[in-house]
Amino acid sequence: MTNPIRAWYAGLTDAESNVAWSVGVLFVLFVLGVASGVINLSYGLYLLALAGMYVLLSLGLNVHWGYAGLIDFSVAAFWGLGAYGTALVSARDSPLGFTVDPIVGLVVGLALAAAVAVIIGIPTLRLRSDYLAIATLGLAEVIRSVINNQSTWTNGPSGILGLPLFFGTWPILGDVPRGAPTYALDVCLVAVFVGVTYWALRRLHLSPWGRTVRTIRADEDLAEALGKNAFRFKMEAFVVGCVVMALAGVFYAHLQLAITPGALDPTQTFYVWIAVILGGSGSNRGAFFGGLVLVLIVQGTRFLGGVLPSNFPSAAVRLLVIGVLIIAVMYARQEGVLPAQHELITPGTTEGNDE
Amino acid sequence: MSATLQYLVNGLVYSGVIVLASIGLSLVYSIRGFANFAHGDTMTVGAYAALLAFSGTSALLVGGGNATAGGGLAGLLGGPAAFVVALAVGMVVAAIVAIASERLVYSKLDTSAVGLLIASIGVAFVMRAIVQILFGNIQQAYALPRSGPLPGFGALGVAVTARDVVVVVATIALVAALHVLLQYTSLGRQMRATSDNRDLARASGIRTNRIVDATWAIGAGLAGAGGVFLGLSLRLQPLMGFNLLLVVFAAVILGGIGSVYGAMIGGLVIGVIHELVPALSTYGVPINAQYANTVAFLIMVAILLLRPRGIMGEAV
Repeated sequence: MTNPIRAWYAGLTDAESNVAWSVGVLFVLFVLGVASGVINLSYGLYLLALAGMYVLLSLGLNVHWGYAGLIDFSVAAFWGLGAYGTALVSARDSPLGFTVDPIVGLVVGLALAAAVAVIIGIPTLRLRSDYLAIATLGLAEVIRSVINNQSTWTNGPSGILGLPLFFGTWPILGDVPRGAPTYALDVCLVAVFVGVTYWALRRLHLSPWGRTVRTIRADEDLAEALGKNAFRFKMEAFVVGCVVMALAGVFYAHLQLAITPGALDPTQTFYVWIAVILGGSGSNRGAFFGGLVLVLIVQGTRFLGGVLPSNFPSAAVRLLVIGVLIIAVMYARQEGVLPAQHELITPGTTEGNDE
Repeated sequence: MSATLQYLVNGLVYSGVIVLASIGLSLVYSIRGFANFAHGDTMTVGAYAALLAFSGTSALLVGGGNATAGGGLAGLLGGPAAFVVALAVGMVVAAIVAIASERLVYSKLDTSAVGLLIASIGVAFVMRAIVQILFGNIQQAYALPRSGPLPGFGALGVAVTARDVVVVVATIALVAALHVLLQYTSLGRQMRATSDNRDLARASGIRTNRIVDATWAIGAGLAGAGGVFLGLSLRLQPLMGFNLLLVVFAAVILGGIGSVYGAMIGGLVIGVIHELVPALSTYGVPINAQYANTVAFLIMVAILLLRPRGIMGEAV
């Protein structure tokens, strides 16, 4: 009788088992850190929630770049649209002057992102790859500029404060004391978001739609010659990815309970890019892993900044680490740590071990 | 009227910076074939190198008793030698950094134009991080005395400072020098040949690797000068170049990416339009001055859609 875990482990490639080990070791260290009190429990749970958010962002960008080959530099903007979408309708300080349940805010945030994705996609998705990169970065800055300057709609640079917790109005979950318990709820929420998104994207990736989009990435002319409307597929991939990014934004807004235009900084976009490229373009597991590494870098340098003398330039060191990492990945392993290999095989179609 | 004229003057000064930056971005695109996202941070490096050199040189001059002070142009001439030295240092350092990035990063990568683009983001982050670590995340300025408007322009109803004149004159001089270099020297001919067809140029005996180095040096040197002038007319801070990058892209795309002369025209047009946006409201167009960048970006997207080869670019 074979042990299923052992069988699973034996089926992994070297890279996969290395990643499995490092994620495992990190998780154990994290649990030890929380248990021994080095990491405050609330902060630990907050970190987990943040990790889930970065994983969502990476999964979203992976649809753009990994599936469809779209160089999208507007990640932060769509993330921000999700956050602002829910903040505008659910926050106490919203300039719109009414509040609804965060569930409605979730729908509004995703719908807003989807609508803007279509509006931005129509002109830009026909562009050549490097032009697409520049155009999306430019339009992302336009979105940030509108949010920053249309104070009557968005409160301008001061942002929107006073968001409710996601479960704030729920009968039992809303009465949980603030602090670690609410963060624990946030972790559960993001776990559901990540789980559903991961499952849906995996289905999509293996579907005929996913195969078509991958063909378009490899050779758009070939896909067109086979009768596929490349623009339509790219548009669909763009909207799906943007909605996932907006989901991350909605979650973030209800995690931080505030959102300001400064959070839409384009640097955030490039952070998510390194997560996807490092993890392995086109691989959902790679995006998942990349998201974890990203939260480690972002929060790790912040943590160092707290421990080291106050003049330690932690923001600059974070930028340096990420810059060096981008160059290193492009230099040493362009396919990323976990390239999509087994993932592209539909389970059950091969003899013996799949996945 | 004079208000609009004033915006036009500001536009010309801003254009100087944009033109210098655009030329380099376009040159590197034409020879190396990728959109260099580190170009903005190259400007920052140039500006900060000049800051370092300027404080060093002017301290030396003051020590030697050579510095003079006064009002108007003479005020700026208080440290003219120091500033010229600083400008030269800024340009040279930017050029060295760019050649180093080509030698250490771009030439080592076996990747597509998209891969180089992504790598250039990494290079940009490294440059910006080093600037932040060395100089801190604060605003700084060249320690030149700020002079009031020059009296000669008062009759026209516009305020033109000595700094404005320096930026515009120096930009014209650098652009003219580049024109002479490209059209009348052997290096310029080799660069144009390499830009047209690198393999053919190599087969004709041009050492294209040296041409690539020269391109980086010229492009980054001009960007460094642009950074110095940006720091001269505004202030220095580590994000100054990156914040300008998209406006520079807008100028390059308007002019036609890969075309040096297109970049000059695009830079001039985008720079002037950028500064004219506040004037629009005096003509009844209700637009917030904060949207100057937005207007530039929207022009860029419109050009990409309607005429992707820009004003002077080749067909794509």
